[in-house]
Amino acid sequence: MNRKGLISIIATLLGLIAGAILMFAAGHNAFEGFMYLIQGGTKSLERIGNTIATATPLILSGLSLVFAFRTGLFNIGTPGQMLFGGLCATIVAHTVNLPRPILLVVLIVVAFIGGSVWAAVPGLLKALFNVHEVVSCIMMNWIGYWVVYYVVRDYFPNGSKATESLPLADELTLRSSWLSNLFDGSYINLGIIVAIITVILIAFILNKTTFGYELKAVGYNKHAAAYAGISVNRSVVYSMMIAGGLAGLAGLTQYLGVATNIQIGVMPTQGFDGIAVCLLGATTPIGAFLAALFFGLLYAGRGYMSVMTEVPPEIADTIIATIIYFAATSVLVERVLDKLKSKRLGRKVTSFTDDPLIGTNVQNTDDESDSIGFMPPTNDKTKGDE
Amino acid sequence: MKKKFLAVALCGLLSMSLLAGCSSSNNQSSTESTSKFQMLDTDLKVGMVTDAGTIDDRSFNQGAWEGIKDTVKNSKYLRPAGVTDADYLEGITNLYDADYKFIVTPGYKFERAVGISQEKYPDAKFVILDGAPTDADGNSVVGENSVAIYFAEHESGFLAGVAAAVQMQESEFGFIGGMELPAVQRFNWGFQQGIAYANENLGTNISIKEENIVYQGSFDDKAGGQQIAAQMYDRGVKVIFAAAGGTGIGAITEAKSRATNGDTSVYVIGVDVDQYNDGVYDQASNASVILTSAMKYIDQATYDLIAAEVNGEFPGGQTLTFSVENDGVGIPAENPNLSENAINTVNEVYAKIKSGEIKVADSNDGSLIK
Repeated sequence: MNRKGLISIIATLLGLIAGAILMFAAGHNAFEGFMYLIQGGTKSLERIGNTIATATPLILSGLSLVFAFRTGLFNIGTPGQMLFGGLCATIVAHTVNLPRPILLVVLIVVAFIGGSVWAAVPGLLKALFNVHEVVSCIMMNWIGYWVVYYVVRDYFPNGSKATESLPLADELTLRSSWLSNLFDGSYINLGIIVAIITVILIAFILNKTTFGYELKAVGYNKHAAAYAGISVNRSVVYSMMIAGGLAGLAGLTQYLGVATNIQIGVMPTQGFDGIAVCLLGATTPIGAFLAALFFGLLYAGRGYMSVMTEVPPEIADTIIATIIYFAATSVLVERVLDKLKSKRLGRKVTSFTDDPLIGTNVQNTDDESDSIGFMPPTNDKTKGDE
Repeated sequence: MKKKFLAVALCGLLSMSLLAGCSSSNNQSSTESTSKFQMLDTDLKVGMVTDAGTIDDRSFNQGAWEGIKDTVKNSKYLRPAGVTDADYLEGITNLYDADYKFIVTPGYKFERAVGISQEKYPDAKFVILDGAPTDADGNSVVGENSVAIYFAEHESGFLAGVAAAVQMQESEFGFIGGMELPAVQRFNWGFQQGIAYANENLGTNISIKEENIVYQGSFDDKAGGQQIAAQMYDRGVKVIFAAAGGTGIGAITEAKSRATNGDTSVYVIGVDVDQYNDGVYDQASNASVILTSAMKYIDQATYDLIAAEVNGEFPGGQTLTFSVENDGVGIPAENPNLSENAINTVNEVYAKIKSGEIKVADSNDGSLIK
């Protein structure tokens, strides 16, 4: 077990403990609660299938965050990219008549491009005018939200119910009857296969290609990267576009897989949950995959927990949110681990509050001695003899 | 360093205990409040899956839940993570697996989920409010184990329109809707017909302009509702009928802030449930900006269906409409802001709708605005 994995596991345990304390404080039996929570996500084949289906968009949105973080970008625009990618795929599925295998490929490509376009705007603004991507991404989220609102309402309304688009037939989406039957009628879909392939592809691009190396170099230190002859602006735009494309795929799996239509007036929470997935997954593709499955389990088991215990749904939501956001504090765990280590070595340690919790620069995380996510590197004084 | 940790830990504990305190005090208040329904002597486990809003939305979710929670010993509601059919189905499956086999779903968004569930779980009973279960092709199919319930919103809006018109005599009215859905549109159309009826037959002089009939586009945008209400009041509108869920709460907030600042001439007409208490701006005198409310007795409908099931008379396969005819819609029993004259007039009109003397159209023949 490497160090990053260990940190994520400790963070997860901390999250579960925090959830248990909350349950205890609200007067409920935490062990019983967790038992039903896990049963709810795994008790039957159908429930396992639903857990995986719930996790699918999270895998891809987490991956989107991972990819952008590696180039030093905080892609908080995943919800908007999901919406627009999903919308583009929905439009194609409604209007184009193709044999199913070709249609699926076209849908994947269209969703990816849709998300890319939505992310290209903040990417270009960042590259050309140094507009902070967080601001422009959030703007793009709302633009996406209202674009979906008007396009769906005016062109693909579900009859008189103008709050959602016309549902697609299963054969026009990622749903597949053999996969559903395999899992006893669950709404699991081909999206999980898309997600697995994408995880492998992204891991390969980041770790084994020159392109990935350049992106990470920009994330590590853009001045050094520029000095080494890497085009920083180009890397920023490409990174945002690929991250956006991944979020677009998340939208595809959500709106043409888990659901068969797109709702207006709803910002997909999967986009924001991607941040937690990415952090818990130690900003690695494989980590994001595992973290998303864990979150999928929590979300799928939540309802069963509140139906089998006296925990009211609102408290159950709070517990899940607590687990998730404690789990996402893996950076703190790392700091504490570092501190314990240097204590053991008998060194004087400076308080970690000396470092800003959120730095402005994202670091390369491949080197194990470096910190994770958007944390600045560990202070030299605290690093000890590693 | 240590001190800081201690402080953080203490803060954490404090907030935990606050949370715990909240939950227990909530329980107390819910047991203390007396329900209008009698507890039925049954072991039937009744479950409900909420729609997008919260359980205390002062609207559909809350209305349906109030018909359940004090009616049977074993009741439970679930709040789905999202608003897709998959989320709704998951909620229904969870309830079913925990032996809650009488399931209430508030809102048309459950149409497909109930359509699937009624076949998947033939031994469970389903009640869907404001909608009917659909099959894969979108056709309504009310299974033998399901009941679809609709409400005559137009009659409710009509009564509220008459009540407000008689009360105000000469004034300008407005309407704020949530999304442009059939149920919301029916409220609007009925409201306009009610005003027109009062103008023609009861000697009132109420005007309602096209610019003051607005569908805001969502049910949860309080700020948006408040903004639109402020514009309407600035244009001289005195009474706004807000059929917009949370967005309507924004309109109430605007009226309340005006009333607090001395302008007590503006009113809101509430929707779905009696919203009088939401509009109280002066606790001492219990003065409220809610003139009256156009109600749908969602709680009554839910209660009736549970009672029918307990008595073995569940009307499976039927589509029921709750209207004035079966006392399923109306205005609240108590209307502190209405004069006796207005209340008497509404009662007369109510009787006339019931006898068929007045017919309220549930569609727009072109003479109504939007």
